[in-house]
This record gives sequence, structure tokens and C-alpha cells, in this order.
Amino acid sequence: MTTPQPTRRTLLRGATALAATAVAGLGVDAALAAPAAAATGRTGLLSGDPIAHLLRRATFGATPATLAEANRLGLAGWLDRQLNPAAIDDSALDALLTRLPLAGADIATVRAKLPARSYDAFGQLGRAAVARAIWSNRQLFEMTAMFWANHLHIAAPSSGVWDSRADYDKTVTRAYAFGKFSDMLRASARHPAMLTYLDNRNSTKAQPNENYARELLELHTVGMNYTEADVQAAARLLTGMTVGAGGAYAYNAARHATGAVTVLGFSHPNATAEGGEAAVLALLDYLAMHPATARRIATNLCLRFVADEAPATLVAKLAKVYLDNGTAIAPVLRALFTSSEFAASIAQKVRTPLEDLTATVRALGLGIEKSGTKALDALYNHLVNSGNAPFRWAPPNGFPEVAAAWASPSAFLQRCNIHLNLAAGWYPSQLTRPADLLKSLVPVLPGTYGGLVDALATRLVGTPLPAAHTAAVLSVAGKAPTSSLTSSDKQLAGSLPYLIALVLDSPAFQLR
Amino acid sequence: MRNTTDRGCDENNTLTRRRLLGRTAAVGAGLVGAGLSTELAFADETYTGDTLVVLSLRGGFDGLSAIAPIGDPDYYRARPTIAVPKSQVIAGDGTFGLHPALAPLLPMWSGGTLAAVHAVGQQDPTRSHFAAMESLENAAPGSAVRSGWLDRMLGGTGATGPLAGVSLGNTMPARLFVGSTAAVTMAGVDDFTLAGESAKRPMAAALRSLYADAPDVLAGPAQAADAALAATSRLRTAGYTPANGAAYPATPLGTALSDVARLIKSGIGLAAATVDQGNWDMHDALGNAVKGQRMYDNLTELATALAAFAADLGPAGMKNVTLVTISEFGRRVAENASRGVDHGHGNAMLLMGGGIRGGKVYTKWPTLAPPALTDGDLTATTDYRTVIGELLQKRCGFGDLSTVFPGVTPGSFGLATAH
Repeated sequence: MTTPQPTRRTLLRGATALAATAVAGLGVDAALAAPAAAATGRTGLLSGDPIAHLLRRATFGATPATLAEANRLGLAGWLDRQLNPAAIDDSALDALLTRLPLAGADIATVRAKLPARSYDAFGQLGRAAVARAIWSNRQLFEMTAMFWANHLHIAAPSSGVWDSRADYDKTVTRAYAFGKFSDMLRASARHPAMLTYLDNRNSTKAQPNENYARELLELHTVGMNYTEADVQAAARLLTGMTVGAGGAYAYNAARHATGAVTVLGFSHPNATAEGGEAAVLALLDYLAMHPATARRIATNLCLRFVADEAPATLVAKLAKVYLDNGTAIAPVLRALFTSSEFAASIAQKVRTPLEDLTATVRALGLGIEKSGTKALDALYNHLVNSGNAPFRWAPPNGFPEVAAAWASPSAFLQRCNIHLNLAAGWYPSQLTRPADLLKSLVPVLPGTYGGLVDALATRLVGTPLPAAHTAAVLSVAGKAPTSSLTSSDKQLAGSLPYLIALVLDSPAFQLR
Repeated sequence: MRNTTDRGCDENNTLTRRRLLGRTAAVGAGLVGAGLSTELAFADETYTGDTLVVLSLRGGFDGLSAIAPIGDPDYYRARPTIAVPKSQVIAGDGTFGLHPALAPLLPMWSGGTLAAVHAVGQQDPTRSHFAAMESLENAAPGSAVRSGWLDRMLGGTGATGPLAGVSLGNTMPARLFVGSTAAVTMAGVDDFTLAGESAKRPMAAALRSLYADAPDVLAGPAQAADAALAATSRLRTAGYTPANGAAYPATPLGTALSDVARLIKSGIGLAAATVDQGNWDMHDALGNAVKGQRMYDNLTELATALAAFAADLGPAGMKNVTLVTISEFGRRVAENASRGVDHGHGNAMLLMGGGIRGGKVYTKWPTLAPPALTDGDLTATTDYRTVIGELLQKRCGFGDLSTVFPGVTPGSFGLATAH
């Protein structure tokens, strides 16, 4: 990989900005919300089993192994196990990640290994995220880490953070994924990647740059509950938080604007330049514990894990747990997944392009390639084309979480196309595949084509498709549900990829 | 996003696309007939107004750099290091001048098919990108209307073909088109394919059955994809070479505008299209008006793409096309410590088309004198909706505007001729 044309890179920063706001507010939700009748129709498409529901939401796609484990441990037991990721073996994934050494590299290492402004660390970081989502056994951790990366978003690639973005992933969003939000917020504010991405590194007391101050309030903490005066005061307070020689974080007192500040009810005398950093940290702690921040994080967790319209009762409950536990995340997740609102939310979420891909690979039982990263490159590039490659969202608000933001004809065709390519093994071809895909998905061949599609859907979706959908799937093979099937059927092998693909294309698989 | 930022990706993307296309080579054969009949079905559309192309400049376009107020001394006082010097502007008239990077557009400006409107903005004073884009695209602040204004415009045209409204260059749906019309989101015309489709493997028909009774949020895109696949198959088979030597930049904007021109020329019934250009959020290093600087380079891409679009369609084609640029807000008048500009308010719009009375800047200039500013920003003396409203009436056959822009009286700049 070589460094791209600057124009190409910079264009991309805004290329998705359109979609950035596509569903930023309630407006779109209201405009595109499915009618109540259609929404209830969703539930019939999926199994109502609580463990299957949990795995559709808390993982990147259920597999026979994860279902068996979760059924054995029960919902609470599975959460306990997943909330202690260090105790879960992940050696197969770790072996793959050694092929992507820059994904977890610190700033000095990236600088030592790469020419300045190389995009290689971005490429490895994005691929590592795809690999973790698909093959990690620490599924809830990976899901949560991605949530935080999206909340305290720094686009990758984006100019300026070529050396620091991988370190940010490791030392900020992954480090505190199950920790305390207040600690994560402090770490993000003192990380060169954030100070670069949102321009605070160049802010001075004479002419403060407001970019980081605004997004700290609007996106990272309280939401649209601030005034322009709050932004200006926060921008003044943040002056001095910058990047030093060698690309490391530095506090430069000479740049700090002293003088009393008030931000959203937080007051600080900010009397000395040397004390500026401590004043910033006090503001961050205040913001992390602000009730509006608690509600915002609770709402976003609901949008991620529960429904496109966050249940008000659950938001209130989770916000309280968050504040009662001093911004600790794990208790909030436990409260979310054991709530009645979560249990009642079956089929209320639609898979994003990333979730569609990961669930497809996991459901088909496709494994890590024997060497190299060609398959991973292909999976990542599919997500680039889908607008959903990890971290690759240009503006600072992170990927949208609601179905309406992703519902487009192009996106629909891309889903269908990757399903067929993966089912057939056409592209990427390097993933390890079950020796006999049919046998691995359907160990005992049913006597009819209808029975075959039922078995495929039970394995891939969790439940048989409605009868009309089964007939639609079989139309691609010129068969009816009653058509008889034997192991000597000469058409079966040729039809199988299309049948699998159409089961994955069906409305049921789009739901999670 | 179809264009990737690392070369390794590019290589693999080519493979992906070629592989997918290879597998779908038969798709054209299976769908050409359907495509033709679909096109015929709406060939006698009643909408005869201009195709409206909305180009969103994402991140907050700096109208004060693009259309520099060279006659306003406070411009130079507020931007000591990044103002465009009087000596460098083009088409200057003593009051305003175009940024030199807009040189590719000079023939249109001089020829009278390109104009600018200055000190334009929203009523909503927000300086948040996300809130500002949302209100810009909803264009009905303070009302219960939740749709995008381009959706309401499309509804008003009566155009109903499967490609009457198209968002090009993105995979994700455009907020401008949120609402009741079925606008299509297409990353690109050539990428819009269904793998595996053949006479022997009728995937499209199977999908049609699967989505006949699906929940709306799932059925809408599937059904729109089905109709758009049929309607565009002939275009993909034919391929595309821009006319008149038009050279689009190899960027997302260039590709998207090329696809818009392609759809317009196909006579497929395109009434409204939206495309994007990003990277306008220049908090730092906006730079001088020379090549290699952020503002210069982004404006160059914009100008090159627009010039290619106009050349590709030619004067005859441009007679029935109106293109407008919008952006969520302008930038702060004074530069910051990073030689950039923070979020501001009032801004400039560009208008291009055969019906535009071009070659001039339309404005009620409030001046940049400190007392005339709004919180340090250019005051918006013209509501952007009045500008588009005037275009809708003059060029798109609209009378009453209350559906598209509730409560807005169209402007009377006289910036376009009657269609």
C-alpha cells in the first residue's frame, strides 16, 4: 500500500457527510418509521427465543457454537462470561492479528515503521476491526469497543492522525470499553489523535479554535444542550491541550487562556496557565457525570442494542445506573440486556452493512485464511463500498445507528451480491471453508427442496422462512417446496449457492 | 463511498467489482427488455421543467473565499493572512471577485450561465454541522414537516419514473430526499448490478417475491432497486463517454456529476438529483489562493467538475438543467490561530444553468463591518429558500411554493429567465 493522492484522501473526508446527517435527528425517524402494522410483522420473521435474541444483538452474528454456549450458561451467565473478556481464549484471532502489527502499534512504532503520512496503519486498523468482529470470541467486548469508537469518533483514514489513530484505538476506546466513561473521556482529551482530528492542537489563547470544544459538548457528552457561549468558554479552557514533539500529547501552558470560565453550570477560576490542564480535567469529569450525558449515552446504547426509537423508560433506567455507578459501563450493559424493554424488542433492529457481512461469514462458518490478508482485504473493501468500513466515517458524529440511514437500493444490492459471492466461494476465495458446506449447514438432507430451505433458514436465520418466502427462494432453482430431493440430485450442487444467498437476502436475515 | 483512500484497496476494489460484474454479465440480457418497457412507460412524463441538480458542499463552505468581497475593507482586516488578494481574483468587479481556483468556470460566468448569490443563509442560527445540515435539508423550520425539501420538490413536479429522483455518489440515502417519493440512492450507474442474475437463475424475480410483503424499511429499497435495475440496464450495456471532450476529475464529485449527465442525456426522466462534495470544514490551514492549499485545491475540484458537467451536456442540454450549491453554514469572518475559519453563518451559493442570468453576484450585502456581523459572522440577508424558490418558479414550473418551502415568499432577484 502506498500513500494516496492528497486530493482523494481529503475528498473522502466529506464524501459521506451527506449521510452523516441523514438520520442525525428525530426528523428522519419520524418520516421513515415503518407503520405499526409492518413493524409487528417483523417479529414473525424471527425466533422469539431470548437467547437467540441476545446473540443477534450482543454479537456480530450467532453461530451454532455460541448458541450452544449461551444456552448452557443462560442469559446472565453468558453476560458474566463476556464481561470478563480476559478469561476468554482468543488465540486463533490473535494469530491473525500478528499479520496486522500496526493495528495495535503506539505512536513511536508507527513513526518508526512507516514513512510520514502513510495510510498503512489505517488500513491495518480497519482490517483488524473487521477480523475481530467476525472471529473474536469476546463478542460483547468487540461490539462495545466499536460502540465507543463510534461515540468518541475519529475518522480513519483522516489527515493528521496517520501515526496516532491506532494508538487511540488501543489506549482509549478499547482500553476503557468496559471501564468508566469518565476515564475514557479524559484519555480521549489527552490523546494526540483527538487533539489533531478536532484541531485543538493549534488552538491558542489569542484565537481559540472551537472545533473540539463544540463536538466535546455536542457529540461526546451532553448533546444539543449547549449555547454558543458554552462552546466559546470551553474552547478557551481547552487552549494549551496540544501535541508536542514526537507526536505525543503535551500541555502547553504558554498557549492557555486563563480567566474564570462557566460551561453548562461548571465554573472554574482557571487562574493560572499552569493549572489549565487540571481545570480541563475537572470540566471533563463534570461533563461525564452530567445528567444530559447520562441520557445521551443511555439513548445511544438503546439505539445500538435495542430499537431505533430508544424506549424512554429504559433510557431513564440506564442513565440512573450510569450515574449511580460513577459512569462505569459494565453495569449499564448488564441492566440493558436484562431489561424487559430489551426482551420486548425482538426484530426491532435492522443489520447495518457491517453486521450483515459479519453475520454472513459467521453463519456460513467461514474461517480465517491460512496466510496473508487477501480475504480480509476483500471483506474490508466490501465495507468501504458499502460506506460502513470500521472507523471510516468522515464527520465526527460517527455512523448512524438507525435503519433508515442505511436503507438504500445500492446498499440492498451490495448485500445481495456479497451473500452470493461468499456462499459460492467466488470472492473472496481465500477464506477457509467447511469441507462440505451443505453438510456443515444441513447435516441430514431432507426429502424435499422445501425441507432443505427450511433447514438452511433454521441454521442461517434461526427459524424457517414464511412459506411464501421459501417458495420464492426455490424459484431460483426451478423447484417447488414439494419437489423431492435425494443425495444423488445432480442440480443440487449448482443451485446451492443461490439458495443460500437468497435465504441470506430474505427480509428475515436483515433483521437482528 | 466508492473511492478508497489506499492503493491496496483500489487494487482489490477493482477485483471486487470486476468479479461481481463478471458474475452478473448476464444481468443485462435478462433485464434489457424490462428496462426498455419501463423507460417507455414514462417517456411521456408530464414534467417538462428543468432537471434540478443540488450539489451539497459538506462541512461549511467558505463563501468569503470563493466569492471574495474585495471591495469590503473589513474582509482584509478580519483575514490578514488568508483573504484572497484583490490582485488575484478573477472576474472582479470592484465589489466581488471569484477565487482564482474557479478559473475553469470563467467561460460560464462570462457566458452568462453561472451566477452567485451572497449573504445567503438559514433562519436557524445553529453552528452545529449536524443540526444545520438537518435544517438545511428539511427547509421547514418550526413546522411539523419532516421530509426533505427535494422530496417535496420532486412530488410537486409530478415526475414518477423509477429514476425521477436520484442521489448519486453515495450508498446511504440522502436526507434531502427523505419522504414520500421513491428517490433512488445509487453509488454509481455502473456499480448498480445484481450478482448471479441470469435467465437460468432469476434472482431479481425471487427477490421481488421475497420483498412483496416485507416491512416498509426493508421493502422500499428492495423494490426501488428492482425498478432502477431494469431502468438502467441499457445504460450499463451501452457504457458512457462524456461528450465534447468533457474531462471530469477522477473524484467522487466528478464521477457523480458524470452519472447525472448520463442519466439526463438518456431521457430517463430525471427531475431532481443530488450529489456531494466534502472537506469544506476548514478550521485549519485554509491557505493562500495558490495551488496545493486546501481552499484552492477543493475549489479547483469543484470548478473542474462543474465545467466538465456543463461541457458534457453542452449548451442545448444545459438549457433544461439548473444546478445549485448549498452548504450548512458559512465560516466565521475572522480567521483563527490555525489560518482557518470556524463555523459561521451567512454564505454564498452558486447557480449554473442555461436559464440562469449569470455573470454577476446577486446580494443584499450587509457589509463585514463589525456592527453588521451576527455573532462575528456574515449576516444572512437572503433566505436560501427564496433563491431556490425563485428557481423553482422560473425553471421548474412551480406556482405555489407552500408545499416545498412552507411560509416562504420566493425572491425577486431576477436571477433566472422563465423556462
